[in-house]
Amino acid sequence: MNEKVLTQNFGLDHLFRIEVYLEQGGYRAAKKALTEWKPEQVLEEVKKASLRGRGGAGFSAGLKWGFVPKKTDKPKYLCVNADEGEPGTFKDRYILSHDPHLLIEGIVIASYAVGIHDAYVYIRGEYEVIALRLEQAIAEAYGQGYLGKNILGSGFDLDLYVHRGAGAYICGEETALLESLEGKRGNPRLKPPFPASVGLFQNPTVINNVETLANVPFIILNGAAWFLAKGQPNDGGTRIFGVSGAVNKPGIYELPVGTSLREIIFTHAGGLKPGRKLKAVIPGGMSSPILKAEEIDIKMDVDSVAAAGSMMGSAAIIVIDDRTPILEVLKKVAKFYAHESCGQCTPCRLGTNWIFKIVKRMAEGKGEQGDVDSLLRLAANIKGRTLCPMGDAAAMPVFSIAKKFKEELEASLKGKT
Amino acid sequence: MVKLQIDGKPVEVIEGTTIFKAAEQAGVPIPHFCFHPAFAPEGSCRLCLVEIDGFPKLELSCSTVVRAGMKVSTQSPSVREARRSVLEFLLAEHPLDCPICDKAGECKLQDYYQDYGLTESLFREFKEKRDKKVKIGGKLILDRERCILCRRCVRFLSEITKTHELGVFERGIRTEISTYEEELVDNNYSGNLVDLCPVGAITDVEFRFKTRPWFLVRGESICPLCGRGCNIYIDYHPGFPRVPGTAKVYRIRPRTNESVNGHWICDFGRYGFVSRQQMNRCHKLIWNKADEKTELSWEKVLILFGERIQSLRESQRTDKIALVLTSWLTNEELYLAKKIFKDDLNAGKIFFADPRAGEGDGFLLRAERSPNSRGAQEIGFELKPARIETLSQGSEILIIFGGYLAEVFSLSELRKAFENIPAKVLVTSHLNGLESLVDFVLPSAFTTEKSGSWTNADSRIQRFTAVAPACGDIRSEARILTDLARELKLNDAFYGRLTDTAAIFKELENDIPFFRTET
Repeated sequence: MNEKVLTQNFGLDHLFRIEVYLEQGGYRAAKKALTEWKPEQVLEEVKKASLRGRGGAGFSAGLKWGFVPKKTDKPKYLCVNADEGEPGTFKDRYILSHDPHLLIEGIVIASYAVGIHDAYVYIRGEYEVIALRLEQAIAEAYGQGYLGKNILGSGFDLDLYVHRGAGAYICGEETALLESLEGKRGNPRLKPPFPASVGLFQNPTVINNVETLANVPFIILNGAAWFLAKGQPNDGGTRIFGVSGAVNKPGIYELPVGTSLREIIFTHAGGLKPGRKLKAVIPGGMSSPILKAEEIDIKMDVDSVAAAGSMMGSAAIIVIDDRTPILEVLKKVAKFYAHESCGQCTPCRLGTNWIFKIVKRMAEGKGEQGDVDSLLRLAANIKGRTLCPMGDAAAMPVFSIAKKFKEELEASLKGKT
Repeated sequence: MVKLQIDGKPVEVIEGTTIFKAAEQAGVPIPHFCFHPAFAPEGSCRLCLVEIDGFPKLELSCSTVVRAGMKVSTQSPSVREARRSVLEFLLAEHPLDCPICDKAGECKLQDYYQDYGLTESLFREFKEKRDKKVKIGGKLILDRERCILCRRCVRFLSEITKTHELGVFERGIRTEISTYEEELVDNNYSGNLVDLCPVGAITDVEFRFKTRPWFLVRGESICPLCGRGCNIYIDYHPGFPRVPGTAKVYRIRPRTNESVNGHWICDFGRYGFVSRQQMNRCHKLIWNKADEKTELSWEKVLILFGERIQSLRESQRTDKIALVLTSWLTNEELYLAKKIFKDDLNAGKIFFADPRAGEGDGFLLRAERSPNSRGAQEIGFELKPARIETLSQGSEILIIFGGYLAEVFSLSELRKAFENIPAKVLVTSHLNGLESLVDFVLPSAFTTEKSGSWTNADSRIQRFTAVAPACGDIRSEARILTDLARELKLNDAFYGRLTDTAAIFKELENDIPFFRTET
């Protein structure tokens, strides 16, 4: 079962060039979709495939596309979220740098399905070389008629643009991304209205993650049933797991959705270094609640990880061993969110910073009794009360670490006045 | 219409109404910082969260639209806890310098803390240090430690004035409001930022450190400085009993009236009003015949004044009366002037002297710089500007209301013209040099000290009442005119009825259909 899909051609020399991509059968799916299928059929197939968003929220891509009004005078837009900023996440950069045409093909098919003629890739500013490579790939695709006017003689037009971010985590939040793309300060918008009806430039907009779209060509080529069979009944396909931290072989591993977390860490990523014991795992990027060593016998799919009290997120697995003080992990987490809060809404702006101040003080050896309780209380007061999901993203890891490792954290306070 | 329940009360509102507005309609106030009725919901302060039956999370009342059958709670334990925690977050980094903060006493953060906070501070960390005295406009000082980042100021400048002088800079805890480089907030509506600021972050140099809000008495009035007639609050300090000179108007603020001025007033009115109320006021009766040792009193002045007119009346020379009126007078005063001078005395010349028209700004400020030209016209005056030759020619008594002649002509021109007029009376609230050219100066009331009504440029009749007592010899023009009519023994039955401005307005209403207010 362990055959790769998205990453199957990775490692081929110059895969990022269109000639090599075409040699591997590239753009066959786009041709099939655009010339043989109606847009509704594409949409239906993707819906049936249970393709869930790879960006973090795990929302069904087909449903998302379906929310865009079919009959509208307004232009519709596709925004590809390539602002891969979640700490621990490094899967999209592999797709973008190794196989950019796969993404472009996904974009063409998705745009065709929804009736979009302008698409943007919002790519994080740090991915400079990757952005250049993507731009080159786009130029090639235009040159060979896979982008632009009358693609493959189908009468379908699509223009694709690359927009580079300037280094703010919050711009990975879809509405902040839209603001940034419009040239404004990247602050999240109040929802509703949702982007599907009022998005980029106030027009209906689909926002998808890179990996999500990269799956689309394979669904078209092989069918929804094939895709579903790869993964779980409600969560099809494979995921690119990015494993980092205290493992022997950190890196990306494309595995079927539903592979056990233990298997990923100990079989694929080579387990821990000799003599070390697993302490905790952050299973879906830094904002997902931490799992203790004994909680890792779970299937890695959106629903199962949620049932275990964490979240699948971006499938970025951060492995922590027994040599790492949990306070250090907590400090990294707290510092990151305090630094990245956009400052717009009260609980996130002030709460993340308060949490960081407490954790920093604890790390400096000036912790006091009651600090851990304060962390729990503050995190609870942020969660669910902020303008955008970043509040939850900041609160959940802090809350879970403070709760599950309360003893260790409190022990670190003892003996220090 | 949509029916829903707010705190158990049934409410019916039109479709598309937000929960916040529906609650307001039901008489349930919801605390808020960033929401303002003039702007689109912002949703950033998170104070207006409410609980809705069947919703997993608390929802924003400012942006959530009502649905039929919704059950909303604005006081449930979880809502109160959310409010408490928002206040806790805000206060954690707040400097708590209320004792020296001009907003103390009318600060939303203070008020809400009283209602929903009242907890011990658990904040053990160092507070961020920020700039406390940033000049962001001609009269505006920003204190970044007090700022709660509701962005009302930024939104006002982008949505209302569209001048975009302020923006949000930096992010996270370092987020701050700032001007772009050194370009200050420079527009005719900058003073509104102070009223908009729910805390003491933006203060007005004209008000800073001068007094405390709790000493101020709030009165409702109308701004007289242009034809718009913006609805205002006058904040008046009644003074400390043993400290003379402490009674004064400290500021005016906009009073919401969607049909006239919305939520705003212009700086021309805001600062112009206060300085006019205080500066160069005429408090005392003046008799410019220096050798006279007589104690001057209103009674005496009225007798002398009356005698003059009476003698002209007896010799049927009332056409020798020259009268200069101003559109600063109220409908009631102008009506009295019309009854006395036009109808009863048949005065020869009636002119108007008004402040020079300025430039309108296309928003609130009108070119016409007096409050009642429309009223004057409806009462039956032609707004003939005074002409200096005709004014003096053959006039035996000149009665001037307001000092605006001195704005139209130079004092030397006027002195020359006045030379041959045997009797001259000036009724004015302000001294501007004109008082040296007349025999009698009668101090009259400013807007703050009198009641009446004005008809604004859009024909809206707006009433106002006295906010502060008149000091010194000051009397309202309405009183001066009714007293004069009594002195002259003109139609006792009519003038006897005019005991106050309301009574005058009643006569005006009966007389001229335009002023009939439909109820």
